[in-house]
Amino acid sequence: MPNWSIALIPLLPLLATLWIAVGFSFGWNRAEKGEKETAYVASISILLSFLLVLGVDVSVFLESVQNRVQVATWLSTADYQITIAFILDQLSLTMATLVSFIGLLVTRFSINYLHREAGYQRFFMLLSLFNAAMLLIALSANAVLTFIAWELAGVSSFLLIAYSWHRDIATHNAIRAFISNRIGDAGFLLGIALAFFWLGTIEWTELASAAKEKDVSEIFLSIILLGFLLAALAKSAQFPFCAWITRALEGPTPSSAIFYGAIMVHAGVYLLLRLQPLLEQVPTIMVIIMIIGLITASYAYLVGLVQTDVKSSFMFSTLAQVGLMLVWIGNAWFSLALIHLVLHAIWRSYQFLHAPSFMQQINRPARPVPKWLTKQSWLYNAALQRFWLDSISDWLFTNPTTTIAREVQIFDEQIVDRLTGTQSHANMLSSLSHWEAHQQGRLILKTEIGTGSGLFGSFIQGLAAAFYWFEEHLILKSSGEGLLKLIRHLGKHMQSIDRLLTQPRYLLLLIMATFVVVL
Amino acid sequence: MELHSMDFSWLSTLILLLPLGAVVTLLLSEQHARWSALATNLVVLILSLGIAFNFDPQLSGFQYVEKSEWIRSLNINFFLGVDGLSVLFLPATALLFTAVTLASWNSIQKLRRIYFSLILLLECTILGVFTSLDTMFFILFWESTLIPLYFLISLWGVGANRRHAATKYVLFMMAGGIPIMFAFILLAIQADGNYIFDYTQLLTLKEANPYETVIFFLLLFGFGIKTPLFPLHTWLPLVSQEGHPVMIATVIGLKLGAYGLLRFAVPLAPTAAETFQGLLIALGIIGVIYGAVAALNQTNLRRMLAFSSLSHAGMILLGIATFSQAGIQGAVFQLLNLSLIVGGLFLLTGFLHQRIGSNDIISLGGVAKSMPLLSAFFFFLGLANMGIPATSVFPAELLITLSVLDQYTGVGLAILFGIILTAAYFLNIYRKAFLGECRHSIVANAIDLKAREKLIIMTLSLLVLVFGLYPQVILDTLSVSSTAWVELLKR
Repeated sequence: MPNWSIALIPLLPLLATLWIAVGFSFGWNRAEKGEKETAYVASISILLSFLLVLGVDVSVFLESVQNRVQVATWLSTADYQITIAFILDQLSLTMATLVSFIGLLVTRFSINYLHREAGYQRFFMLLSLFNAAMLLIALSANAVLTFIAWELAGVSSFLLIAYSWHRDIATHNAIRAFISNRIGDAGFLLGIALAFFWLGTIEWTELASAAKEKDVSEIFLSIILLGFLLAALAKSAQFPFCAWITRALEGPTPSSAIFYGAIMVHAGVYLLLRLQPLLEQVPTIMVIIMIIGLITASYAYLVGLVQTDVKSSFMFSTLAQVGLMLVWIGNAWFSLALIHLVLHAIWRSYQFLHAPSFMQQINRPARPVPKWLTKQSWLYNAALQRFWLDSISDWLFTNPTTTIAREVQIFDEQIVDRLTGTQSHANMLSSLSHWEAHQQGRLILKTEIGTGSGLFGSFIQGLAAAFYWFEEHLILKSSGEGLLKLIRHLGKHMQSIDRLLTQPRYLLLLIMATFVVVL
Repeated sequence: MELHSMDFSWLSTLILLLPLGAVVTLLLSEQHARWSALATNLVVLILSLGIAFNFDPQLSGFQYVEKSEWIRSLNINFFLGVDGLSVLFLPATALLFTAVTLASWNSIQKLRRIYFSLILLLECTILGVFTSLDTMFFILFWESTLIPLYFLISLWGVGANRRHAATKYVLFMMAGGIPIMFAFILLAIQADGNYIFDYTQLLTLKEANPYETVIFFLLLFGFGIKTPLFPLHTWLPLVSQEGHPVMIATVIGLKLGAYGLLRFAVPLAPTAAETFQGLLIALGIIGVIYGAVAALNQTNLRRMLAFSSLSHAGMILLGIATFSQAGIQGAVFQLLNLSLIVGGLFLLTGFLHQRIGSNDIISLGGVAKSMPLLSAFFFFLGLANMGIPATSVFPAELLITLSVLDQYTGVGLAILFGIILTAAYFLNIYRKAFLGECRHSIVANAIDLKAREKLIIMTLSLLVLVFGLYPQVILDTLSVSSTAWVELLKR
């Protein structure tokens, strides 16, 4: 197979996204009559990608394609080279096959599910964007390309959570989810930058060998890995980022299925699997991963026990499973983690898609909360409150940030503005109430010419006032009379000083003072 | 320094066409004025695109050079030329002004002839700023940007305090312009009694100027006001709130101050710049964080964009202050991006203002219902503003972030924090203004983007996307000149 055909795998769904977006802008696929075309474009693009992935699978199986395929250079400067390259190994192809397969099924499912929904086109546009991003994450050979896809997946996730944008709760939750993800993105960028400096490469396959070759110390390696780990934890909603994912369930059910049930929630696990050779060199990070996995799994298990709606209980059991995958990774059972990932993704997407009709098929009441939990009231309470993760993050990050923002605004208006010049609304009648206040004499405007403000302005104004006084009192007054008077006045004083100095005792004093100064 | 001339004076044709167009516009009737402005702009756009395409990025030094005597006794010349760092600003400026002309098509109702001729004059002076290679000639253009801008802000502004804003703007810019002129005079006076105002000669001088530190600080102050750098930014939110949003797109989209820092402040005082590198880095990171935090609390879209622009200016300064090739490429790339993105966002607020009469979130809300396209494009350009991959800001910010992290890891971490804040302030105000329920009937009944507006915004968005997917096309043009720029510091 030619090299460019590999690039087509993520490109086809991306083109579908653009096609639907352009169509909507020009209005040819809007409303119900545009549904058919939209659905065709979206499903055919992902179907073709799926077939291409299968083709690549076969040719890799027959060993006719090399392991790494470079298509183009994306960015090159004197110091940095970033290529568009794809990696074709067992791990990436397993993931790509899984993503395109589930993507295809969910796209097909959504055609009927979203029929006559407002925002039908928007949904398929975002679903295609998401498919493209996930396929790119699976196949990309270097960290920057993965990061590009990583962010695009985040954006499409944001937009699908805010799918019903007229509801305040949905949009608020979408922002919370996106900002939580953004923290992980910052970690990802840090990982990329540090890998560039310390290892000299950002190719996934070369990281480990570069670390060995350059004999990079374990501390540096752990810092790089911590950056990527932060990204993985945020994307997979592991502890301490567990809170955002339940907010993310605001989106339509198919999107919940593919994003948070099946595919995106596993992206973090996939990233860690990609880093396997590097992880094996740093046992400390493996231990950290295992501990986080254990914490998440037990957290999600406990909280999952007390959930009362279908989607949330699915979500927490998903988190628990992903936590277990981290535990496998922490124990260096990488293949087990991959197998677990694939099986879990398939099962969970089925379960999530099924969720809306679940309630009708079940006729027995929901299982009550187990006895042992209700007895431990503190644990029960904690589980009900989801261990206060949301409130803690509010208390630690959100509230301080909003407070600082308010204070910065006050600082800007009251101090910086005053020091550097006129305030935005000083000396102005900008509203009716201002005008009334002005009429009643409560508001005095400093509108005469020569009014300065700010540090520099006040200085100039003071200087101008001093000069004015000089001019007014000394020079202008009866054509220089003032100055004359002042000189005469000074003259009189000088005379009296002179007279004093003629007396010997003052003369002696003066001479002594001179000596003191000179010596 | 190599200077390459052409057999036809393309740059002066480009610059002189605009005042000519302005005169024609002034002579025509109120109805036809805009057509003449558009025609002039299109010719300038095509010419500048031609110049950019014919520019040879492999050559070092300046191309399209034109030089003729102006004031002989002082050795001041009419001296134009472009290198890899400045050539792309010509099509960017021309494109933005064409977009502004089209966007003002119906939204400017009074004194159209004067408005459009002032816009053309402004474009002329801005193109002059980007192409002048003689420091006095540069000052001439730099200061004359104020004349059209004073009238454009005070006569066609939308805020109640537009006159005040115009005065404040001009006073601030004068306070910046005088130090720059003084610095250029200090630079020009040579030990042998001659004057050198020739930029290319100044760069190749063997001996360092005795007043280099003074010159550096004068230039930093002067260009810093226009960039703007904290704490000299107070004119920015005021002007963007009071001025006409469509016209403000040019003031804030084209960051002349940052260009001045890049072109003059650092290369002309290299030793001082390197001594005070820490100061530049500090100013940059303060700008990034301060702008982003202040933007969090804004209730007006245009004020939010103003503070966001302060944040971007800090980022660009950081790129310049790394004194590395990647940093410079990132900074210039980002400057070009801002003309598309900030320009586009201000034009969109202008369209919104024309429909609703306000950009305050209190009178918006639920805009996406009646104006889905306007909201979608605002979101897309907002994503670019955040530096989301696949938009052109991403490669630019990536280069800056990488080179800053390389030299100043702590500052790099602060940038990463700024990246999170950027997402927070944009998404929050977007949610309040564009999403949610419609609260006002005027919003509910407004019409979406029209064909002319769609054309403008789609062109800008397309470019943002293309340069995001294929950034090398910009970086190749910048490559040789940015290497030469870094070399200059080592002399």
